[in-house]
Amino acid sequence: MRLLVIEDERKTAEYLQRGLEESGYTVDVANNGVDGLHLAVENDYELIVLDVMLPRLDGWGVVKQLRNTKETPVLFLTARDDVEDRVKGLELGGDDYLLKPFAFVELLARVRTLLRRGPVRDVEHLSLGDLEIDVIRRRVRRAGQRIELTPREFALLYLLATRRGEVLSRTQIASYVWDMNFDSDTNVVEVAIRRLRAKIDDAHALKLIHTVRGMGYVFDINEPN
Amino acid sequence: MRLSLSARLALIFSLITVLSLSLAGVVLFNALTHQLLGQGDLNLELKVRHLRQLAEELDSAAAIRDHQVRFVALALGDPDLALRIETAGGTVLIDHDPSHIGMIALAATPVAGRAATGPVQQWTTGGTIPVHGVASMATLRDGSGLKISAARSMSDEAQLLNNYRDIIFATVASTTLIAVVLCYLFVRHALVPLRTIAASAQSITAERLDSRIDVSGAPLELHDLVQSLNAMLRRLQHGFDRLWQFTVDLAHDLRTPIGNMRVASEVALTRTRSATDYRALLASNIEECDRVGRMIESVLFLARAESPQFALRRAEFDAGEELQRIAEYFEGISAESGVHVRVSGRAQIYADRELFRRAVSNLLANALRHTPRDATVLMAASESAQGASISVQNPGEGIAAADLGKVFDRFYRGDEARSNSDASNGLGLAIVKTIVEIHGGTALARSDVGTTAFELRFPAFRDGVAAGSS
Repeated sequence: MRLLVIEDERKTAEYLQRGLEESGYTVDVANNGVDGLHLAVENDYELIVLDVMLPRLDGWGVVKQLRNTKETPVLFLTARDDVEDRVKGLELGGDDYLLKPFAFVELLARVRTLLRRGPVRDVEHLSLGDLEIDVIRRRVRRAGQRIELTPREFALLYLLATRRGEVLSRTQIASYVWDMNFDSDTNVVEVAIRRLRAKIDDAHALKLIHTVRGMGYVFDINEPN
Repeated sequence: MRLSLSARLALIFSLITVLSLSLAGVVLFNALTHQLLGQGDLNLELKVRHLRQLAEELDSAAAIRDHQVRFVALALGDPDLALRIETAGGTVLIDHDPSHIGMIALAATPVAGRAATGPVQQWTTGGTIPVHGVASMATLRDGSGLKISAARSMSDEAQLLNNYRDIIFATVASTTLIAVVLCYLFVRHALVPLRTIAASAQSITAERLDSRIDVSGAPLELHDLVQSLNAMLRRLQHGFDRLWQFTVDLAHDLRTPIGNMRVASEVALTRTRSATDYRALLASNIEECDRVGRMIESVLFLARAESPQFALRRAEFDAGEELQRIAEYFEGISAESGVHVRVSGRAQIYADRELFRRAVSNLLANALRHTPRDATVLMAASESAQGASISVQNPGEGIAAADLGKVFDRFYRGDEARSNSDASNGLGLAIVKTIVEIHGGTALARSDVGTTAFELRFPAFRDGVAAGSS
């Protein structure tokens, strides 16, 4: 999958390229709006990560002109958190909007969502190792043992399980599980993960929920390296 | 062009002066005219009566002629007086007219009483000089009738009145001029305090907000103005001081995480370390970055929320349900710290749901932080005609009365010992207050021995429109 990053801040562009390449994407970088637009029109990218504040031609100008010929999904990056800015970006044909500074896992999650073609298939049954999740009846078993979870604990486990192998940030988890869409100073998510682990992992040698320090949590058989 | 206040007042005063003086002049002139002419007419009548008396002592018309000198003597020394005595048949016996006034045939009443004379009649001579004339009938001893007429030209009186009019005009004009000049000067003088106020206002800058305008030198009428200006300055100074304090606190609070990152990175770089150590360092740096990020987000939120363009996405919902939901969000934390959270009540409110959650979450997080184990935090929603009330109450050490007014201040931390803890950036309650206030409500804090309660009051609303709020 080929992505284009249009970003004038050298360091930001560099780490975005590196991070996205390490996540399995092919990444081209442009350092200004004019070059970016040229690349975007000439090549077929799956997704464009576009900074709003750019020299020569700003992000909005790029999207406006790009939309004349192409429907490539665009993820806006911006340091300005004005509602009008957000609305403007989306009206001009941007597909999503991420506020700087952002967590890289958050960016990765947005990129994956935008690249995910078609509706997500609802699964009825999820399993990992000896853990089994019956989505319809909301039942969880590990090594054949029934585990009682509260509705929120189930929602948290379900989120982790459907995003297997993906690092989920605390903000993302709070938003998906509790619909709390603001950063709070509280360690609600940490505590919830700890309590879920006590029920799912503590009694077993094979751990399924892993902490990626500073970034978030991942659900997988192997600990991420 | 706009006239200055001094010029305008001077103009108004001079208009008033001109009008009142002119009115006085007209009244005085008329009074004098009336007086003078009345006096002249009375004299004329007396003359006629005198003549009649003289005539009635005589026997016949012929005797009148003989005593002409006696009659004419009455008019001596008054060249403007004309006399004519004629018989009832019209034969003129005496005609004395040294100034050639030109006597006309005057109407005379028949003799009815001693005082009867005809009406005063007026005409002019020489074109413009007014003449007043009076006539009377007399009866001689022989029973024959006699008509006595007297007329007088009013040239002296006319002259006097003309002079008088000129004096009035001159007086009105000069007094007006003096009034304008004096008025302008007085008004200018009276407005000196205003210029003084303007000058002291000019000397006030952002760096010198502590200076005040002197109220003692201002006249009574300007006291209110000066006091309002000073009150405004006080508010501005307070705002500036808060902003300044806020900037200092913000810089101070940013220094800690940035210092942590810098020192930790430097220490790590002083020698080669294992991959695990580097990992730990990077993770720690990310945590510090998150801390800085959250702080920036909070500060930006506060700044944005105070701007008039801030758009609330309001909806009507049950606050009780939201409290339940927020309590659920914190159930892990409360369970771990052994604190119970009890939610009660319902209240329909019209608010931005996201912001409402944020405000109440901050209150609950704060309450959980200060509640001892096994105690219960009470969250309640209630509704009255005044609006909805949300309260979060927790047992604990409580807040000192002196600090109660400061809990909603930015960067205020009740517990100095934990001022640098990750748990709170000191903006949580400031955000709560701001959120409630942009909904037109108020945030209150109460604390007794062993209990602290926060209350958020949202104004009543009708049909999706908040009453009395922005």
